[in-house]
Amino acid sequence: MHANFFPGADDYLRFSPELILTIGGTLMMVLDPLFARKLPRMFGHLSILLLALGIIGACAAYTVPGYSFSNLLVVDGFGAFFRVMVLSIGILAVLSSYKYLDREAAETGEYHALLLFSIVGQCVMVTANDLIMIFIGLEISSIASYILTGYLRNDKRNNEAALKYFLLGSFATGFLLYGIAVIYGITATTKLDEIRAALNNPSTPLAMVGVAAALMIVGLGFKVSAAPFQMWAPDVYQGAPAPVSAFMATGPKAAAFAIFLRIFMTSFEQVAGGWEPLIWISALLSMTIGNFAAIRQDNLKRLLAYSSVAHAGYILVALASRSGDGTAAVMFYLAAYALMNIGAFAVIIHIAGKGERHLRIEDLAGLGQRQPLTAAMLTIFLLSFIGVPLTGGFFGKFYIFRAALESHLVWLTVLGLLNSAVAAYYYLKLLVVMYFDEPGEVANSLGSPGAGLQAALIIPAIGTFILGIVPGVVLNFARNSSAFGR
Amino acid sequence: MNLLDLVIALPGIGFILALIIPRAQEKAIRLLTLVFSLATFVVSLGLVAGYQFGKAGQQFVSDTVWISSPEIHWHVGIDGLSLWLIVLSAFLTPIAIGISWRYIAHRTKEFYAFLLLLECGLVGVFAAWDLFLFYVFWEIVLVPMYFLIGIWGHDRRIYAAVKFFLYTFAGSVLMLAAIIYLYTLSGTFDYAAILDQLSAGRIILSHSQETLLFLAFFIAFAIKVPLFPLHTWLPDAHVEAPSAGSVMLASVMLKMGTYGLLRFCVPMFPNAARDNAGWINILAIIGIIYGALVAMVQPNLKKLVAYSSVSHLGFVVLGIFSFTQLGLDGAVYQMLNHGISTGALFVLVGFLYERRHSLAISDFGGVATVAPWLSTVFVITTLASIGLPMLNNFVGEFLVLQGAAQANFTWSIFAAIGVILSACYMLWMVQRVFFGSTHEDVAHHMPDFNAREWACMIPLVAMMVWMGVYTQSFLPHISETNARILDQSRMNVPLRVSLPGSTISHGGIGRAR
Amino acid sequence: MTQNLWIIPILPFLGFLVNGIFGRKLPKMIVSLVAVVSVLLSFGWVMKVYLTAGDLAANPVTEHYFTWIRSGAFNVGWDYTVDKLTMIMLMIVTGIGSLIHIYSVGYMEHEGGYYRFFAYLNLFMFFMLNLVLAANYLLLFLGWEGVGLCSYLLVGFYIVKHSATTAGNKAFIVNRIGDFGFSLAMFLIVVNFGTLDFGHVFAAAPGRPTGTLTAIALLLLLGATGKSAQIPLYVWLPDAMEGPTPVSALIHAATMVTAGVYMCTRSAVIFTHAPAAMETVAIIGLVTAAFAATIGLAQNDIKKVYAYSTISQLGYMFLGVGVGAFSAGIWHLMTHAFFKALLFLGAGSVIHACHGEQDMRHMGGLRKYAPITFYTLCCASLAIAGIPPFAGFWSKDAILAASYAHAPWMYWIGTITAGMTAFYVWRAMFMTFFGEYRGHGHPHESPVSMWGPLAVLAALSVVGGFLFNVPKILNSMFPIEEAAEVPWLVYVSVLAGVLGIGLAAYMYVVNLDLPERITKAIGGLYTLVYNKYFIDEVYDATVVHPLVEGSRSVLWRGVDQGFIDGIVNGVGQESKAVGGVLRLMQSGNIRSYATWVVLGSVALVIALGIAGGVSR
Repeated sequence: MHANFFPGADDYLRFSPELILTIGGTLMMVLDPLFARKLPRMFGHLSILLLALGIIGACAAYTVPGYSFSNLLVVDGFGAFFRVMVLSIGILAVLSSYKYLDREAAETGEYHALLLFSIVGQCVMVTANDLIMIFIGLEISSIASYILTGYLRNDKRNNEAALKYFLLGSFATGFLLYGIAVIYGITATTKLDEIRAALNNPSTPLAMVGVAAALMIVGLGFKVSAAPFQMWAPDVYQGAPAPVSAFMATGPKAAAFAIFLRIFMTSFEQVAGGWEPLIWISALLSMTIGNFAAIRQDNLKRLLAYSSVAHAGYILVALASRSGDGTAAVMFYLAAYALMNIGAFAVIIHIAGKGERHLRIEDLAGLGQRQPLTAAMLTIFLLSFIGVPLTGGFFGKFYIFRAALESHLVWLTVLGLLNSAVAAYYYLKLLVVMYFDEPGEVANSLGSPGAGLQAALIIPAIGTFILGIVPGVVLNFARNSSAFGR
Repeated sequence: MNLLDLVIALPGIGFILALIIPRAQEKAIRLLTLVFSLATFVVSLGLVAGYQFGKAGQQFVSDTVWISSPEIHWHVGIDGLSLWLIVLSAFLTPIAIGISWRYIAHRTKEFYAFLLLLECGLVGVFAAWDLFLFYVFWEIVLVPMYFLIGIWGHDRRIYAAVKFFLYTFAGSVLMLAAIIYLYTLSGTFDYAAILDQLSAGRIILSHSQETLLFLAFFIAFAIKVPLFPLHTWLPDAHVEAPSAGSVMLASVMLKMGTYGLLRFCVPMFPNAARDNAGWINILAIIGIIYGALVAMVQPNLKKLVAYSSVSHLGFVVLGIFSFTQLGLDGAVYQMLNHGISTGALFVLVGFLYERRHSLAISDFGGVATVAPWLSTVFVITTLASIGLPMLNNFVGEFLVLQGAAQANFTWSIFAAIGVILSACYMLWMVQRVFFGSTHEDVAHHMPDFNAREWACMIPLVAMMVWMGVYTQSFLPHISETNARILDQSRMNVPLRVSLPGSTISHGGIGRAR
Repeated sequence: MTQNLWIIPILPFLGFLVNGIFGRKLPKMIVSLVAVVSVLLSFGWVMKVYLTAGDLAANPVTEHYFTWIRSGAFNVGWDYTVDKLTMIMLMIVTGIGSLIHIYSVGYMEHEGGYYRFFAYLNLFMFFMLNLVLAANYLLLFLGWEGVGLCSYLLVGFYIVKHSATTAGNKAFIVNRIGDFGFSLAMFLIVVNFGTLDFGHVFAAAPGRPTGTLTAIALLLLLGATGKSAQIPLYVWLPDAMEGPTPVSALIHAATMVTAGVYMCTRSAVIFTHAPAAMETVAIIGLVTAAFAATIGLAQNDIKKVYAYSTISQLGYMFLGVGVGAFSAGIWHLMTHAFFKALLFLGAGSVIHACHGEQDMRHMGGLRKYAPITFYTLCCASLAIAGIPPFAGFWSKDAILAASYAHAPWMYWIGTITAGMTAFYVWRAMFMTFFGEYRGHGHPHESPVSMWGPLAVLAALSVVGGFLFNVPKILNSMFPIEEAAEVPWLVYVSVLAGVLGIGLAAYMYVVNLDLPERITKAIGGLYTLVYNKYFIDEVYDATVVHPLVEGSRSVLWRGVDQGFIDGIVNGVGQESKAVGGVLRLMQSGNIRSYATWVVLGSVALVIALGIAGGVSR
């Protein structure tokens, strides 16, 4: 393929979401000192606007699919899908932040700018066609989220979490970088499609490829909080401000899975025999560790952290199946998971109260009687986590395990499904407290969620149902775009 | 949108309306749910009227694509097997609402809404002709029942609710795996299509494949039935649930399991089914005797009835896995009978609880002298459930045992012991509750039936007699379908099984081997 | 022309419905009218059928009403049939039934639950008539279970009385054990014959292997021992005396308990082709007869005495059936219905006279207070003692003769039993009607509605024997095989009867302190007999108690709650424990996390190596 060195209009159009968000984010930094006092909520509105524009941009970009910037960037259905996903996640994150930020009196442009930058990074990741680009995108996204994690400066938990996240994160990134370097050493290129071609070439020695793949799995496994690299997740999710945890559990995770898929399904597809077992193991470990550890959790954020580990496991099952259907399943599942996870965190944000005091399961007591609507929403999300029909989560699992069975991963499927039965236990525990227990002081003292949070509850709920009743809309798109440029 | 869709949709619509109505309007909600459930029942009678004999396959079919890829259809239909089970569900829901009229005091809105959702799911399960759709309804049923037990139940309701949910869910995920696996083999979720492919030999299952698939389905259903030793969720669930919950649970939900066995396990995996029939029937017989013996020593009314259900359902399983016309007919008939008589028992126990606020047998005694009609109806119901001729259960039990005898006489010998024991625990319970001298706090809290309670009971008693005396109104539909299932179950059995016609002098696996 | 046989059972059923539903509101007058008239009418209809049906032997009446159960090729209809055997039974049931209904009007006058009593009684008539009219085993079984139900309800009629309700349960459950055998027999019949219709089965039976027929016959016999209170299932009948006396007369003497005999006779074809089974029937009958008679010797409760005598007499009937003299068995069934019903009703009258006293030691000298009762009871007691020309003599003699032809030792045991029977029945007579009144209050004669039926039955017990010579009537069904006529048999058995009466007279009229001395002399044996050989206690210790306790401690607490739930909850605990371990790994210390990451990656690389590295 030819490389054009002078970017044309199409290139900019293909890059438009990143441009919009970057400019907007920088703008906010500038505006911050001027408006932070007067109308703090403005930044929220503004970033929602920008993200919406970003979505439009992403869609516009998809009208001219193809490579840009000398093949560093590729706009295909896959990329577009994930772009829209992370951008929408961004919107939901912002919506769920309003209440939180003014409760903590921490509305600043900085927060939203960082959020936007992190999303920029993710957009770059999902559309990158080059390991270096991927790395850059990953770093942009990660650094932004490191800072967000420690956003509330004088909250000890925030700082500790941020530090952990940063140290471990960079440690893991190192592995990824090693992997990239090794690959470059073998194939003398960082472009995914070229790597693929090189690996197909009989003359290329394969000895080190496996190691490279392993190193990358470590790096990416860390980012998606898959076992055995999940350690950081509970601590960080617990320490970070709730909206940030919500965001981190969905956006960066989705993006990381996107590149996971893109790298392994494009470059390493030919040598899959080598890395598939690793994914297999990691998937099983993640599901099991995640679910069993969650059983004993009584802190809501930790519980959701572990559940996110488990869900990473399910997604890895689909990855292990190495098929178009598998990829589509991953895309669908991530969409469904993003919805239910943000929704669940939104409820936590709602009940947490100032300084996130109320985060124990008992604090949900009697929510069903005091705030039936909120409770109903959480119920929907939990049922979706469990995988009860007519929710997105059910079809997500269904597609994943179907793909797995089609690739004859019978045992992984059975174990995975049994795992989901185990998981049912701790999600039910929440339902029990919420509906069967008498209202506690938390439930009684709760005020109204406020418009932003309402939206962050209802939109995901509706989305969950749409994915659960007419999954076709999303799935078909996913299937059509599950084939990568080769 | 045919009659059957309507039967499924009506409760669904009612459910949504009930959610919309503000919770202050309790009367309105109750009335609405009652109206909707009655309407559903009336419409379901239309199914009976419109049922055509001698018409192969399902009737009242409605088939539209729900999800394009993988191709999942909204494919519902009925045959003689599902027909009566649907009518049963529709018949019992109004009664369940009726008995909750006064009893359910708090959070009425959700309660009645859930009841309708439950009915919707149950009808769906029996009508679904698409494996995937079946699974969807199967799981949907779990949710309302979970809440019914958990919110309106008695003291240990939470333990019971969670146990109930996990038990069934654990079973059903295996079934989901099996369903998906079947899909990967056949490329469709359509039950009839899969059946055709199997019998036409377009799908060849290896012996191990078939056995595993069979077991995956079987375990899911066996938990629901429940088959010994997977039954321990049942007593807890029954005891803790509010009476309406117990009624629906015992009368209809348990039938989901037996229905599944008959609808899916037997025709789809005939070889595995016949190979495993031996130990399954032994478990069933253990269940019959074991359930009866344990029921005999229960100090708690509901637990007693619950264990009696374990015993009764054992008969159903035995009938199914006898692979004889009589056995199958008896099994299905017994499903309906158990639905009526055990349902009635739970209704009556509920009445007793509302009066005495206790389920302990020892808290009663001499009820007959203060509430003669209640006692009379109760005794009639117990007589039905111990299989007295002219009442419904006798017919079912006789056919099942007869079928078992044709398959393997030893089975019928041991199973028939259950009939003796049922008399023991029921009559002993009746004696302790209704006879003897009347304790005064019994005397003061034991008014006889009021109009509402009569309205709930009369239909049930009428059905007991009708189904016991004039079985021709019900059996033909069932026999017809069972004959087909039986043929299907012989369809791809290799030659090691002789193929007897459905004549009763021979046939069944006893001779087949 | 159709006989509308259905009218016969439906009338009492209507009576049951009316009294059962509205009885509480209706005056006693109406209740008793409905009950009695309904039975009388059905008796009338029986007569009508008898007169208009023509020769039942040649062409029995069979009517099909509707299909009861059809599944595959199996088909059971709601069919009635009447042949001579049925006709006899119908007459006994409706005839005696009517009398006892009339008697009850007087007897139950002051009892609570008046309407309930008559409703049950009518229901019983309905089921009993179903039993005898049935044209197939399943319908017969319906009646069979139904009469069992009514017996349960009527034995436990005094629902506040614990002993009564317990006796009711015992009756029902013991009968269920018999029914267990009956149903298994039906299953075997269907498996081998493909139908339950009497016609087809009996037509096909002769061709079938003896083994099958024996199995069927023995299982039927098990059913019969339950219903007709034979060893080993006789234990419920004595307790059943808890019920009101008319019930004991109707159900536990005249009709229901003879259902077993009827059923065996009905199945004669099967039995005659299963010699082993026949022998068993004969022996069970004989042993029961003798065994029960010995117990009867020592009882002091007048109803208990008659109860054991019932068991003993039923034994005779089975003996008859067993030795092939079916018609003799039925004959004794009929005469027994006459005199035993009379004995019980008389006993009722006596109890009525003594204000509810049942212990004969507190009676005596009633001859002058209740003369009618006395004379009627005399007829009955002479009949049961087998004194010619009273009814009992003919039938019992026929049975004994047949048993002699079959096996002489059976005859001898039978004759000795006859002696014992005569003794204990007359012992009862003397203790109640002779000597001085030892009870409280002033004994008095019963009202006409009570002694009326007594008179009728008395007449029947006198002439019923030779008036209705059943063997002749049933000759077409059960030809009387001409056994070598042994002239002296008659005299011996009659002599036994006379001796029995004489001994009783000597011990209880002439030499009053003799009984005392005898009981002293044979103390141990006496207590054994007096306590009915402790059979109930043995059954309790060996069956009932182990069953209940085992179920409670082993099955319920052990298996269910201990084992299975132990596993279920155990799984829960285990997974929690695993969660705990995982939580320990979560130290929160960065260095350890980093170490985990490194270890993990190393593990991955190793796994990669194991997996065989990568290849194209």
